[in-house]
Amino acid sequence: MTTIAVNSSSSVLEQKRISVGRFIGFTILAFIVLFAFLTPLVWPVDPTKQSLRNVLAGPSWSEPLGYDHLGRSMLARLAAALRLSLGLAFLSVLTAAVPGVLLGILAAWKGGIVDRALSILGDVSLALPGLLLVLMLTAIAPDSPWALYVGISLVLWIEYFRLTRATTRTLITSPAVQASRLLGFGPAYIVRRHLWPEISPMILTVGAFGAATAIMAIAALGFVSVGVRPPTPELGLMMTELLPYYEEAPHALLQPIVVVFLLVLSLNLIAGRKAR
Amino acid sequence: MTALLVADGVCVFARERIVEPASLSLHPGRPFTILGETGSGKSLLAQAIMGTLPTGLRAEGSVTIAGQRLSLASGQAHRSLWGRVISVLPQEPWLALDPTMRAREQVAEGYGFVQGLSEADATRRAQDDLANLGLARAGGMLPSQLSGGMAQRVAFAAARAGGARIVIADEPTKGLDVARRDDVIALLMREVAEGGGLLTITHDLELARRMGGDLAVMLNGVIIEQGAAETVLGNPQHAYTRRLIEADPAHWPDGQPRPATGKPVLTAEGLGKARGGQRLFSGQNLAVHPGEIIGVTGPSGCGKSTFGDILLGLLPPDEGKVQRAEGQPAIKLQKLYQDPPSAFPQRITLRRAILDLVKRHQLDAARIEPLLERLRLAPELLDRLPTEVSGGELQRFALLRVLLLDPVFLFADEPTSRLDLITQQETIELLVELARERNCAVLIVSHDTELIRKVSDRQIRFGADRPESPSGDQRMPEDALA
Amino acid sequence: MTRTLGYRLFQALLVALTVGVLTFIMVRALPGDMAYRIAAGRYGYDMVNTDAANAVRTELGLDRGGAAALGQWFWDLVRFDLGVSVVSGEPVIDEVRHQLGHTVELALAAVLMSLLIGPPLGILAGLRPGGAIDRGLLLVSSTLRALPHFVVGLLLIIVLATGMGILPAAGHGEPQNLILPALTLALGLAAVSSRVARDAMAGVVSSPYYAFGRTKGLSEAQVFLRHGLRNVSVPIVTYLGVQFIYLIEGVVVVETLFAWPGIGHALVHAIFARDVPVIQGTALVMGLMFVLLNALVDLACYLIDPRRQTA
Repeated sequence: MTTIAVNSSSSVLEQKRISVGRFIGFTILAFIVLFAFLTPLVWPVDPTKQSLRNVLAGPSWSEPLGYDHLGRSMLARLAAALRLSLGLAFLSVLTAAVPGVLLGILAAWKGGIVDRALSILGDVSLALPGLLLVLMLTAIAPDSPWALYVGISLVLWIEYFRLTRATTRTLITSPAVQASRLLGFGPAYIVRRHLWPEISPMILTVGAFGAATAIMAIAALGFVSVGVRPPTPELGLMMTELLPYYEEAPHALLQPIVVVFLLVLSLNLIAGRKAR
Repeated sequence: MTALLVADGVCVFARERIVEPASLSLHPGRPFTILGETGSGKSLLAQAIMGTLPTGLRAEGSVTIAGQRLSLASGQAHRSLWGRVISVLPQEPWLALDPTMRAREQVAEGYGFVQGLSEADATRRAQDDLANLGLARAGGMLPSQLSGGMAQRVAFAAARAGGARIVIADEPTKGLDVARRDDVIALLMREVAEGGGLLTITHDLELARRMGGDLAVMLNGVIIEQGAAETVLGNPQHAYTRRLIEADPAHWPDGQPRPATGKPVLTAEGLGKARGGQRLFSGQNLAVHPGEIIGVTGPSGCGKSTFGDILLGLLPPDEGKVQRAEGQPAIKLQKLYQDPPSAFPQRITLRRAILDLVKRHQLDAARIEPLLERLRLAPELLDRLPTEVSGGELQRFALLRVLLLDPVFLFADEPTSRLDLITQQETIELLVELARERNCAVLIVSHDTELIRKVSDRQIRFGADRPESPSGDQRMPEDALA
Repeated sequence: MTRTLGYRLFQALLVALTVGVLTFIMVRALPGDMAYRIAAGRYGYDMVNTDAANAVRTELGLDRGGAAALGQWFWDLVRFDLGVSVVSGEPVIDEVRHQLGHTVELALAAVLMSLLIGPPLGILAGLRPGGAIDRGLLLVSSTLRALPHFVVGLLLIIVLATGMGILPAAGHGEPQNLILPALTLALGLAAVSSRVARDAMAGVVSSPYYAFGRTKGLSEAQVFLRHGLRNVSVPIVTYLGVQFIYLIEGVVVVETLFAWPGIGHALVHAIFARDVPVIQGTALVMGLMFVLLNALVDLACYLIDPRRQTA
């Protein structure tokens, strides 16, 4: 009926609203990435260099974001911390997405024992809440980012696996795929024209959401001081370090907080409303 | 005779007017039916009368229900009448029942909360109602345990429990097996026989004919013809009504069956298949000759589609074997699907899908244009997604897609059951014409015996009429799950 | 239902297996002088000698062969013999039992608070999608979801404790000590559960059965109570299971921030000190707690949703 037309036009509106959110998210993220990677080029200051006479000094023309409790450049430290978080998050998401998607398709396509085995593998990775797993890996290999990287990737791949598996399962039994097979198309075509167009938008959503999770986890571990070690600049660690000086230099503490907030917010906006 | 309900100049607006002013009156004991195709605005008109228009739409005009005049422009005046005076038998009732509440409770609500009976009395009355409708044992069931027909009867009892004597039935046959049409009519007629008012919205010409009473035909938001059902259908004044009646397979001209000639392109011997421990068919033999049209009918769940899939090699038979004529590649056997949108890759344009096929088999792309013209498809449609063209157009694109491969055998699985009558006739005519032209054999499956009788050279009938299974894999009509 | 509980049991086994293997690797990966460092941690640097280090080595099974050691490791784990803390020398099981009480107290308070805040607001928003409550809630929950637990905690400390001096920032023992850490966790949980509730409610309100309830003649309140509440609570409760991941993770961070003497706090300290038996004990208990909570969610869903009872 005409009601259907009305409903579909409202869902178009909804889609538009999501894409406005996405656009804002991408814009914020682009600014953050530019800030992180351009700062060392334009402003080559060592983020670990201390100058005691500048301790907790506020923003000035020569140092736009001020100094921390050891007189280190906040600007250089923030940029370095962001490079660490962004790099690690990006790498983890990529490492999780590739096997996650491939194994998901494999499990749904082959079914039977392959499917069962891969699903159990997923259950094993999910047995511990993500942060616990990462914490334990950090305990195995202290002071090295690989524990963070492996742990986060291990947690993130499941979501890709599950979604791809579910989507592929429904798609490969659909009349559309049956028709393509009858018309003489092979598996490569089915992946390219049927599966990929459905899966690729999900990859963006899950990836953005996974990156947000990764960044929060890195910051949380830094905050409880089991992640990366000083003097390496890390957002969570910076907050812990600056917390005692909150009264004298609130601007210093607020900087990493605002940066984490903007970063996670932009990623959540990119992920869209459906992701939680 | 005083009218139960009078609608006066009812119209519906979105940004502009989408239903033109319509007036009708509903009398006790005399059903009123609004007949129209998809998008004709018939449901909107009913929703305006009932006061249930979706947000974003508004109505004007007035409705007089049980002597109370309501101005539709003000809205919300209906609420006090709902359930007590007027109620709705919703479309696809299995979706309109609360999935987490047992059937008896959903009926008892009307007695308990609307009529104010005690809980025990309400439950007892609900159980009586259900028993009256042959559902004595369904009271404790959840909607997911009910068949489509049972869900409809539960919804009917629930709609009336508040004491409403006017019922608006919105597409009561939608999503139900056509064989259940008689049950639906019997159900609705109970209301009429008791002197209630019944307003039925339908696309189903046969249902409209059998309901009798008064009939209004709607097209593009306008009631184009109105009067006693016999008069309207017996002596239609409007060209569209005539066209609609002609499009009913019962009125199609008889086909000229051709005798089978030539070496069979496909032979099946002793085919048998069981599903869920139940034997669907066995010992089926069939030789398909070039260019012949074989019709297959039978109730839903009888295995008629499964039979076609086995012929195509999509499913293995439990017994027997299927053989293609020598030198005939599998690609020459093709299929048309019941639901055209789900038979195309969802996110690529039709042009992309068709060019992929041309590339895959190194076909001549120049053949596309004449075929488009032959199928009366505008070339611009090629740049749309499958979801952006109408069902009829898409089914013709599906036909184009398979014809590019010069098939010798085409299995058409209920190819028009989702299409409106007129579109159905156009599609079937094109299918038959093109198949005859190209000497392509067609196995056409349909629940509509008239349609099969008119188009096929010979027929196969599957499965004796089996009673509807109370709960089993066919308990939900296929549409409900789509 | 048996099937679901069976799956949870399987999951509990997986937790034990994962924790066991990880801590076993942890011990094996300890650098050679680790025994010295642990001994130093326990007895003080002056007291460390080869004997003390060897004692530690034996205690952790560092001197045995791989397979035998792994077997012994699991045998101990299955008997819930979690060993002795290498730092304090106390049996891990006693320490964990003590800490678990504090953590459960905190977690319960947080879940209750979040249930009082999240679902009711979400339901209100979902009853009128696009309305003022909906928009406001979207803004607040998006903001909260973009802030890690510890940042929310920090801000609460800064505003309520240091700034206004209403509540104590850290510590344990007084009832008001519970408020800030529990509120921190609850806000994070409610930010998500309010969205779940909102979407579920909006879905129910626009469903055909909700509309049918209205045209049957039920009042708006009756439709909500009879057809809205149960249908909306199923997804909310189901999602609680997913949320417990955040709860467990949040407990680790929030306990550390507020110096709350629970399991998460103990785990972080044990990781600092490389106190493997304590790491094992705390991680195991937290993992099992997660599984147990999920089993409770399964049970709740079973009780709420009659579809699961007939399936």
